[in-house]
Amino acid sequence: MGDLRFGQVIGYLPDLLDGVVVTLCLSGVSVSLGLVLGLALALARYSGLPVLNWPAYAFIEFFRTTPPLVQIVWLYYGLPALVGHDLDAFWSAAVALGLNIAAFFAEIFRAGIAGIDRTQWQAARVLGLGLGDTLRFVILPQALRAVLPPTGTTVIYLVKGTALATAIGTPELLRVGQLIALETFRPVETLTIVAIAYFVLTYPIALAFQALERRMAASRI
Amino acid sequence: MAGPASQPLVVIDRMVKRYGAETVLDGISLSVSAGQVMVVIGPSGSGKSTLLRCLARLEPIQQGRILIEGVAVSTGTEESSPAPDAAALARLRHEIGMVFQSFNLFPHLTVLENVTLAPRRVRGMAPVEAEALAIELLRRVGLEDKRDVHPARLSGGQQQRAAIARALAMEPRIMLFDEVTSALDPELVGEVLKTMRGLAEQGMTMLVVTHEMGFARDVADDVVFMDRGAIVERAPPDRIFSAPAEARTRAFLERLLEREGGSRRAR
Repeated sequence: MGDLRFGQVIGYLPDLLDGVVVTLCLSGVSVSLGLVLGLALALARYSGLPVLNWPAYAFIEFFRTTPPLVQIVWLYYGLPALVGHDLDAFWSAAVALGLNIAAFFAEIFRAGIAGIDRTQWQAARVLGLGLGDTLRFVILPQALRAVLPPTGTTVIYLVKGTALATAIGTPELLRVGQLIALETFRPVETLTIVAIAYFVLTYPIALAFQALERRMAASRI
Repeated sequence: MAGPASQPLVVIDRMVKRYGAETVLDGISLSVSAGQVMVVIGPSGSGKSTLLRCLARLEPIQQGRILIEGVAVSTGTEESSPAPDAAALARLRHEIGMVFQSFNLFPHLTVLENVTLAPRRVRGMAPVEAEALAIELLRRVGLEDKRDVHPARLSGGQQQRAAIARALAMEPRIMLFDEVTSALDPELVGEVLKTMRGLAEQGMTMLVVTHEMGFARDVADDVVFMDRGAIVERAPPDRIFSAPAEARTRAFLERLLEREGGSRRAR
């Protein structure tokens, strides 16, 4: 069959839209979790205190070096077996992806913080600023500039990574696409539309990060 | 013994600072009275900057004590000592301001924000109040028209004057200056030294590490010569420059004047 027929698939657009909403929610939850946890892990690593550094190090390396697909499956099927308490398919995927992305954010943030000259910490210290204020007003605002581009890339990677939730049946974009493909026998057309949907979701994120970068560059003069 | 009224503002008592096996400060004792300007000179690696950094509590010390108004704010890590009163300690730590060779302004903040940050966050001043204080200080250092500019837009001399204003905003009783003109183009040195002279005239207690012998001669009450982690000699400037008691001091000053002779006078 040499021809491509999109007509049949078009009828399923409302279903695909539902999938887009789930993908967005998955991304939103896991990115939020990842940012907060990632910053905490980065600070724990940067602190150099063994009690904080080592658990953070173990967490980061564990989640960086095992496949996110397996992490999702562990959380969905493994957690109930371990603690007798289960998460539904959406939350299993959201939490697993959040923990996974936190490990990557942590390394980005740690590098960003480490990139700030030691003399900035010293200047804050002799002014009497505490650790919290030093981070909030001196270090993190400067680190933000450096971490913005890799953070944007990681967020985009994560949005597409939510497709892994298909494995446990979360009705996100790719899962919906697969079901439509099964019904219509038009996998190429369906997946092409799914890919376009991912592009429509992620490209604005790329643009937003670029705009943020430009704004930060301009505000410094 | 002297009563509390004449008690020195800062007392350094047999302070030892080591990095690993290397001893950088070897039992330094020094006292500075309120209103005194003390200039510390010496060859590079003699420990003068480390001395200031220990005073500013940027470095822990291994032995000895640093007292401000008779209260130990730093104690050697190798010594057991009673825990000092935390509240008094917090207050006294704000009594020391420091200005660095590399300015270390916060590049993402305007000059005004650089100066108001610590008064607002550490002293708990209201934004309006902190701003009024900052504007007054910027006027004193001649930067009132640069308040809304980011540091990158300033010359080195302007940045250093902004850094002085920032340190003064905490209303410290002692100001430490760590080679604050060494990173400046020669034509910008004068404006920073002028600001420092002004401070000295207003009675600020100052500890100044510098290679500007003219400043030492004119402004210092006492000059301290350090070499290899120890204080070799302490004397008023006219004596130390005309008739140093120690051979090492003399050799250092001769080398310095020889080098400076070609380019500019020592003044």
